[in-house]
This record gives sequence, structure tokens and C-alpha cells, in this order.
Amino acid sequence: MSTDDKEQLPALDLRLTEENVDELYENAPCGYCSCLPDGTLVKLNQTLLGWLGYAREELVARRCLQELLTVGGRLHYETHCAPLLLIQDQVREISYQLLRHDGTTVPVLMNAILLRDADGQPLVIRVTLFDITDRRKYEQELLRAKAEAEDQRELLAVKNEELMRINAELDNFVYTASHDLKQPASNMVGLFEELKRTATFHDPEASGMVSMFEDALRQILGTIEGMTDVVQLQRQPDQLAVEPIGLQSFTEDIIRSLQPLVVPPAVFTLDFAAVPTLRLPRTSLHSTLYNLLSNALKYTVSGRLPQVWVSTSLEAGSAVLTVRDNGRGIDLQRHGQEVFQLFRRFHPEVDGSGMGLYLVRRLVQQAGGRVEVDSVVDEGTTFRLYLPV
Amino acid sequence: MTSLERNNVKVLGAGEQAMVFVHGFGCDQHMWRLVAPAFESYYRTVLLDLVGAGQSALAAYDPARYATLQAHADDILAVLAELNLRDVVLVGHSVSAMIVMLAAIEEPERVARLVFVAPSPRYLNDGGYTGGFEPADIDELLEAMDSNYLGWSGSITPVIMGHPERPELAQELNNSFCRTDPTIARHFARVTFLSDNRADLPRLRRPSLIVQCAYDALAPRAVGDYLHRQLPGSTLVVIDTSGHCPHLSAPKATIGAIEHFLAVEPA
Repeated sequence: MSTDDKEQLPALDLRLTEENVDELYENAPCGYCSCLPDGTLVKLNQTLLGWLGYAREELVARRCLQELLTVGGRLHYETHCAPLLLIQDQVREISYQLLRHDGTTVPVLMNAILLRDADGQPLVIRVTLFDITDRRKYEQELLRAKAEAEDQRELLAVKNEELMRINAELDNFVYTASHDLKQPASNMVGLFEELKRTATFHDPEASGMVSMFEDALRQILGTIEGMTDVVQLQRQPDQLAVEPIGLQSFTEDIIRSLQPLVVPPAVFTLDFAAVPTLRLPRTSLHSTLYNLLSNALKYTVSGRLPQVWVSTSLEAGSAVLTVRDNGRGIDLQRHGQEVFQLFRRFHPEVDGSGMGLYLVRRLVQQAGGRVEVDSVVDEGTTFRLYLPV
Repeated sequence: MTSLERNNVKVLGAGEQAMVFVHGFGCDQHMWRLVAPAFESYYRTVLLDLVGAGQSALAAYDPARYATLQAHADDILAVLAELNLRDVVLVGHSVSAMIVMLAAIEEPERVARLVFVAPSPRYLNDGGYTGGFEPADIDELLEAMDSNYLGWSGSITPVIMGHPERPELAQELNNSFCRTDPTIARHFARVTFLSDNRADLPRLRRPSLIVQCAYDALAPRAVGDYLHRQLPGSTLVVIDTSGHCPHLSAPKATIGAIEHFLAVEPA
């Protein structure tokens, strides 16, 4: 405190300077004790005696500090605190439980210093103890919470592992199922072709049933194909070789393969002037464009000439591949990002497996890009694929 | 990593024969600073930190490997092999008395004599044997260690590691010696206080000195007497001091007892 401060003190407060040192020692808001280097108690203040419930003469020269600790605390004191005091002449903020005369305990935080004589030999240990009953409760709560969190984490790890295993098993199952179904389904196509060629149907409705059967068969094959693609993707992500692909001829090829599906024929407008080539795995781009274009052709509005625009542009360092149609559209207010979920379908009246858009998003994300969708019901849908250049 | 790095080995002193000091539970090689220098004129003195303690490679502490004291004994033998030392004097405090004994049983040719400072082959009471402690006491110790996480443990170490630009953080820590990782300390406490090496005692074939404190709560007189009876060729010296660390509380008497045992002429 500076002299100026002193001068400003009101006269009344000078009573404070008459604080009695002995009184302060005895009734300080903390426990004091002094011990011989071996821990024998030589002096304790009234506060500490009050906590402990002992009379002074029961402790002084008769007991040592370690004996006032729980056995665990004493082990800690002897193996850690005592050597530390002798090595560095002080210890601070050590947490112990003091044993009261009645067998209960009081949690304390201990600071201690070791004083040495003129020859450097240990002379006396001065100890200050703070009652931390409330703080200890919080600490115990924290320790309990920590232990609980650790248990939970272990449990989660186990569950996670289990889920990973189940997931892998499911992948395997789907892969095996699609693989096992593919062969007999293909056989059915061949057999049915042969049957149509050789058999004669007399029922007038037979030809209608034959074409329905063919549609159903095509659906089965499409679903199996989709399943295989999804599983393949899950199994070996980003193992595929990237190559530059010229979009014009690549897209034209896909359109040609789709045309038999389309009655009446649709109008395609292609414009790849801004970005004529993309660097992607060939199979990924094929699957992506095939799914988007076949969707555009599937979800048309009857009585309206289907139109599809496929184009590229450059936007803030990304190549944007846009596929726009004038079809039925999707109610995005209602369905939002569900459009990309596996097996999610919005037009049950049209054939589909619910895997196409899921695949599209997975493939684009694998290529380091993202997909955005805009749609107005009854007007059309626009997919924008943002791909790194 | 060499075993010298792993165990933070420090070699000092001048002499043909080596003297290897191994600290006990709760501390590190700093414990020997009042005793080891007294032998530097006659011996090559070797100080080390057990893996998991002091400045040893904490990452090397694999709880499965260090589930027994034998792993620490093997570490010490690896240090001796790397320094190409034979006929050494092994000095072990507390639990490390048993660790150095295990090392001497395994490779007796490397060890000439042993000094056990405040040793105990078994801390728990067991039938007719008085070790001094019950299992509940050990649980209480673990609890005391848990509540001292912030006080003496290295749980603060990650904070320091995360602030290499602020080295003063390390210096601000209280109790900067004998700090250790709390999880390791807990594990080592368990291994230490649940160990039982009574059956190994008769297998030691080297002369040994038992430095017994007169008043030691961890290794009481009865335990020292037991060891003296069970260890062939042992000498028992009782030092008039209390506590578990005579090398710190009564360094002169401890040095004297060791010098006498080694027949070193006091300087």
C-alpha cells in the first residue's frame, strides 16, 4: 500500500491495524500447523483443532501430521509429498482427507514449506490447510461424470463396431443377392425371347400380357443393376482412375442408349461450350448422367413434349454440369433433401428402384463435388453438379 | 528409441564399477540427489526413471506389459546391456528394491551386490504375514491420487504440450518434480501395492543390504526383519529416521550404511 493510500484511510478504520497477530494465527480462516521434519506436530491453531475435534495436548508432540490423514492419504504423503518436500522444500495444492477425532473426515487442500537451519538441515515444516468440503463435492461430481462419460464412450465404441460389422454384412448380403439374382433373371429374358419365338398364344389378351411381362422383367434387371452399383460404390470408393472425358459425344452415346425408352421422342439441347471436358472416372460420369437423363425421360408430363437441356458452365472455380427438364417436378418444400436418400421415391406410378439419385450424389461427392436441385411441380427439375476443376 | 532414452538414463561419476540407482513409486531419479553424488568418486553412477515416471518415455508405458514388476526389471537389464555393464551395484528404493532384485535373479552375472532402501516384498496383509495394508487402503490411495490429479499429476502436461510458445507454463507448475501421468501413476500404484515377491526372495544369489527406517508406515520393521530372514546373505541396517525415504530424510546415515556394505573407505 502506498503512503497516499494510507493518508486517505478514515480514522475509524485504523482499528484494523490493531489486529492481533496471535489472535489471527489461532482463529485464521484456515488451519495452521507446524511439524518436525518427521511430521511430529509441534504447533496447531485453534481453527485446525476445531476441525479435528482434538485438544491441543492430545496432538502436540504425540501425533504426527501423517497420522491425521486417511490411510490412502498417508500412503500418498509418504511416497510423494514427503520426498517432494525434502527435494524442493515446498509442496502446494495437495488434496487430502483429514481424520477427525470422531472418525469422520474433512477434505482439505494443503500447502507446506520446509524451513532449514543454518547448516541446511531440515528444521520445521509449516503447513496451511484449507477446508474444501464444497469444492470436493463438485470435484467428485466431475470425477463421477468423467467416469460415466468414459463408460459411455466405451459402450459407444462397442456399438459402433457392431454397427460397422452389421453394415458390412448387409453390403455383403446385398451384393450376394444381386449377384445371385442376376444370372437367373438374365436366363428368364433369354428363355422368354425363345418362348415368344416358338410358342403360339390364342388368347386375344396374350400380347398385352407378354409386353407387361417384359416390362416387369426389365424392372427386375434394372433393380438388380442398381443394387450392384450401390454395393460396388460402398465397397471400393475412390479406387477409380480419373480421365478427361469429352462431354458432347459421351452424352450423345447415353441419349442414344436411352431413346428406345422414350415414346414420343424427347428434344435434347446440349451446350458444353463453357466446359467441353470433365476429368472424372468414366464409369462414375456414365452412371451419373445415365441416371439424371433417364429420370428426365421417365417423369414427363403427358401431353407435353419432353425437353431436356444438358449444359456446362464455370462458377467460382467449379465446373457446373446442369441437367434441366420440363417434367413433373418434385415438391422440395415437402421432401427437401430426401430426394437423394436410398429407396426414397416420389412418383410411385412410374417404375423405378429408388437408387438413382442416391448413386448420383454419392458419385459426385466421391469426385469432391456437390449436387444442388431446384424443382417446380408441373414445370420441371434442374440438377446442378458442382465439380472441382 | 534406445533404452537409455526410454528410461532417461544419466551416467555420472568416475570408476570401474557401476552403481545404478532406481527410484520407487511416487517420485523419479531426483530422489537420489543427496545420496548418489557421494559415490561419484568411486563409481560410475547411473540414474534412471522407470518407464511411466519422471522424464521417461511415457508413450512406452503399455499397461499390459507393465502389469508386473518384471517388465521394469527387464528395462533395467536392457539399460545395463546397452551400457555394457557387469558386476554392478543395484540400488532400489521401495518397490524398486524388488524390481532390482528381479533383475539380479534373471541375470546374476550383471549384478555384484544389491542395496534395498525401505524395501517390502508385499504391502498387503496376507494370512500370517503382516505387510501393513488392507486392500481397502489401496483403493483409498487410488482415490487420493484421483483427487490430486491437478496437484501432482501430469494431467497438466497436455496443456503445456499444447503451448510450446509459452514455456513459462511449465515453470509455473507447483511440485515440478516427480510429476507423472495420472493414468500411469494409478496403474503403477496398483501394480506396486498388489505385488507379491515373497517367493522370489530365496532365489537371490547375491549379497544384499537392507536399509530399514526405524519408523516407516509403508515398510515397517517387521517387514525388514522378514526380508532379512528370507534373503540369503543379506545385511540389515536400521536407520534412526522416520518415513519411507531415508535417502532424503537421513542421507548421511544412508550413505554411511551403503559405504560400509560396499567396504568403501569414507572420503
